[in-house]
Order: sequence, then structure tokens, then C-alpha cells
Amino acid sequence: MAETAEHTEAHVLLAGESLRTEPDGSVRLVGGRCGDCGTTFFPSAHVCPECMSEKVAPTDLSSDGSLYSWSVVHVAPRGWNVPYIAGYVDLADNVRVFSHIVDVDPTALEMDMPVSLTKAVFGDDDGVPVESYAFTPGKG
Amino acid sequence: MREVSVIGVGITPFAKYRDKSLAEIGWPAVKSAIEDAGVEKKDIEAAYCGSALGGMMSGQRVLKQLGITGLPITNIENACSSSSSAFRQAYIAVAAGVYDVVLVMGVEKLTKFGGGTLPLEKEDFEVTHGLVMPALYGMRARRYMHDYGLTEEQLAGVAVKAHAHGALNPEAQFRNEVTLDEVMGARQIAEPFTLLHCCPSGDGASAVVIASAEKARQYTTKPVRVACSEVNSGKYMTGFRDMTTPEITVRGAKQAYEEAGIGPDDVDVAEVHDAFTIAELLYYEALGFCDKGDAAKLLEDGETSLGGRIPVNASGGLLSKGHPIGATGTAQIAEIVRQLRGQCGDRQVEGAKVGLTHCTGGGISGFDHGACSIHMFSV
Repeated sequence: MAETAEHTEAHVLLAGESLRTEPDGSVRLVGGRCGDCGTTFFPSAHVCPECMSEKVAPTDLSSDGSLYSWSVVHVAPRGWNVPYIAGYVDLADNVRVFSHIVDVDPTALEMDMPVSLTKAVFGDDDGVPVESYAFTPGKG
Repeated sequence: MREVSVIGVGITPFAKYRDKSLAEIGWPAVKSAIEDAGVEKKDIEAAYCGSALGGMMSGQRVLKQLGITGLPITNIENACSSSSSAFRQAYIAVAAGVYDVVLVMGVEKLTKFGGGTLPLEKEDFEVTHGLVMPALYGMRARRYMHDYGLTEEQLAGVAVKAHAHGALNPEAQFRNEVTLDEVMGARQIAEPFTLLHCCPSGDGASAVVIASAEKARQYTTKPVRVACSEVNSGKYMTGFRDMTTPEITVRGAKQAYEEAGIGPDDVDVAEVHDAFTIAELLYYEALGFCDKGDAAKLLEDGETSLGGRIPVNASGGLLSKGHPIGATGTAQIAEIVRQLRGQCGDRQVEGAKVGLTHCTGGGISGFDHGACSIHMFSV
């Protein structure tokens, strides 16, 4: 499904190094922070898009954000479970993250509502579940 | 820089040509543009071809069908802005005096993907997480509805208008009128969009012949002047961005109007990038046809319909005329040139003297759009 995905025995993990699973099973988003100008961005990269510095280090991002907008997607490429809710979430770090919004009836969604990080399965890649981060309404 | 004119246009009507190759789809538009211009094959000094997903050497594959070879052929990819970006490169070359007569074309065959949403770049992080174009525009629509009170009925009205215009265009992919109920009752694609809020998948080609103004007079008594040619890339933003304001179009429009010495009030007819219903409303505002938040009123007042103050997408636009993506830019230019020549029959905007085309290309993370082109023409 995704060329950057990390394949494990049980799951396809879409976010690769951009998502860290803690020993207790909870997850953290990992972005990049520029050691020279301080710009934070997601996903991380080897060079800063603001000042071209290569001193970019991994940084944990906030797990809380607000829902900027969303769309319930009914038609998607093969492999995705439809319908799903696609959204943009603004984190406190001034980072916007594209994410699935899960565990909610879409009619209950509101603009700018607080959402928090979780993980979910979105579909399958030849029978192997495809998993990544997601956001769900409420404070983490 | 020299003045540049369009002297010929041609289109392969947008449709589904599953059994035809890209080359077979492309050549009729080129032949038609050359005949319209009245030039000989040997007069064409260079060619620029826009295609987003046509594969290697789309231009050569099409032009060899007509024996237009041995000249410099340059292929340009800029997503939906591919052929409008190609037009700018051709314009620069003629304006700079490098060539006198140049062919620009756009060609695309989307039926080879079998249907569904447009295939996007798999290296893109958001695409790997399930971003599809209807969802991206759907999020713009949802936010605009919240911020400016746009209703679902008003949004659906864009599709009704597009089809009313497309019904008058014999070269449109859809030539049927639709009602508000039909738009709102069609199957869901990405909320708030039903199928009729989305441009169709399809195939097609378009071509334009341009010349220096001096050379143009040898071929025609009715050249259409290129008043400005503008292409921009989007600004990459890692944080918050206002999805109700297409910054790349706002910035591009300012540059285009300055370059042309023409303001939005002077535009008689426009072809804008209505890939989804919300897009047309956002572009009314970004192009200065109305103030921020007033787009739905402009539409409801009939100002952007045929007979209104500034008819938008008289061709039917992407929603009704179709959107074989790389072919769209030069097809918009073909429509505006025909409007300014008075050749548009039932969809003619009477007395049109100034026309504008606007074409954006997107589908990658962090940008409002990756590319945006704005061209203006006058007679």
C-alpha cells in the first residue's frame, strides 16, 4: 500500500519512524526539529525546509490538537476500509498533521474541537492489517 | 519582450477513449490547431507538450503521428497545470525572440487507470495515509461552510451551473443539465461532495499555436493577444494554513493583473479550475471577482452564468467539459480564444474582449497547490 511503510509480521505500519509505540502500548508522533532555526515539522526529514540546515533531530510532538477540518471519504483506492474520516489536525507545536479521525460518529464532529492521538487499523495489504496513528475526539 | 498572439486552437473532445492510445487521442487536437492557424508543419519551430500521467515523451509520441518531428520538443509535467505551464514556456520563447511560431499541446489518458480517484504520488506521506483529491477539496469545503455560512444547496448550485453551460458545448464530456436534487442525491464520494460535485475522469487533448504579433499578421486578421502569462508554485507550509484562501491563486492573480495592466472588473469571461464545486467559489474570491465570503451570492445572482456580469466556465468547466488533467490548461485557452473570436455559438459571451484562464495543480502535502497558472488574453 505505501512505499514508505514498515512491514512487520503482524502489521503494515504506515508511519514508519514517525510513530513510536511506548512499552505501555500508547503511541507518540515523532517529527523533526531544526537545531539551527528551531522549526518543527512533520514528518521529519534530513534537511530543514526553512533554513536548509541538516542538523535535524527527532522530536516528540504534542498528542493533543484541534480539528481544522474533515471529510468522510466513501471512495478510495483499493485496500482502504471505507468510509473513513480524513482530517487535518493542528498541534500545539504549530504542526498540521493529516490524520484519520476514528471512534466517532461523523455527525458529532465540530470545527476546532479537541482531539487526541491514538492508533487504528485502516485496511489491509494482501490480508495484512494496515495500521497507523489516528486522532479521536477528546483530550488525551 | 515581444508581443505574442494565439493564432490557432484545437481540441480532441474530452471523453473516455479506452481503446485509443495517447498518441491517437493527441493528434486530432494538434491537426485542428494547425489548420485553424493556417500554418504549414514546417513553420512550427518548436513544440511544448504538457501531460501529467502520459509517460515518457508524450509530445514525441503524438507529434510523430503527424510527422512533426526533428524540431525541439519539450515535455512538461506540472500535474493539472501541465499544459498551461507548457504554454508559459512557449510564450517566453516567442516573447524573447527565440522562435516566431510555436505549438503547445496537452494530452492525457486517465481511463488507463480504470476509474476511481486520481492516482497520486506514492512517496507523499499524506497520500500513503489515505489522502485523495476529493477529500482535500472536501475539507476546504467543510471549513468554508463553517467560516462563511455556505450551505450544501449553494455548493451544489455550482454543479448545476456548470452542467447548464456544458449542455451548450458540443465538445463537453457531459452535455446534460442537472437539477439541484440530482446533484445532492448522487452517490457520496467525499463529504460534502457527491459524484456531481467532482470533475469526471476522462481522456482528451488540446493544442494551441502561438506566434509573435508581427508574424501572426501573416496568418490571420484576428490574432488574440496574450496579455499576461504567469505560473507559480505553492508555498510549502508545515503548520497552520487557511484552506479557505487559496494563497497561490491570490498571489498569482495579483501578479497577473499587474503584468496585464488589467483588473478583475475588466475581465469579460473566465475559465477557472473547478475540479470540485468548492474550488470555483474559492476562485471567484481569489481572482477578485467578488469579496471574501461573497462567492455564493455572486453565483446565486447569476453573475457568473451566461448572461451575467462575468461568466465563469462557459465551456462547462472541469465539472462538465471534463478534466483529462494535463490537457486542461490549453483547453481553457482554446475556449477563451474562441470566445474572444466570437466562435462559441450558444455559449458565446457577447462582445467579450478580455478573457482569463486559471489552472492549478495539486496533490502533495504541505501546499495549498503545487502549481498555479494564470493567463489573460485580449482582442
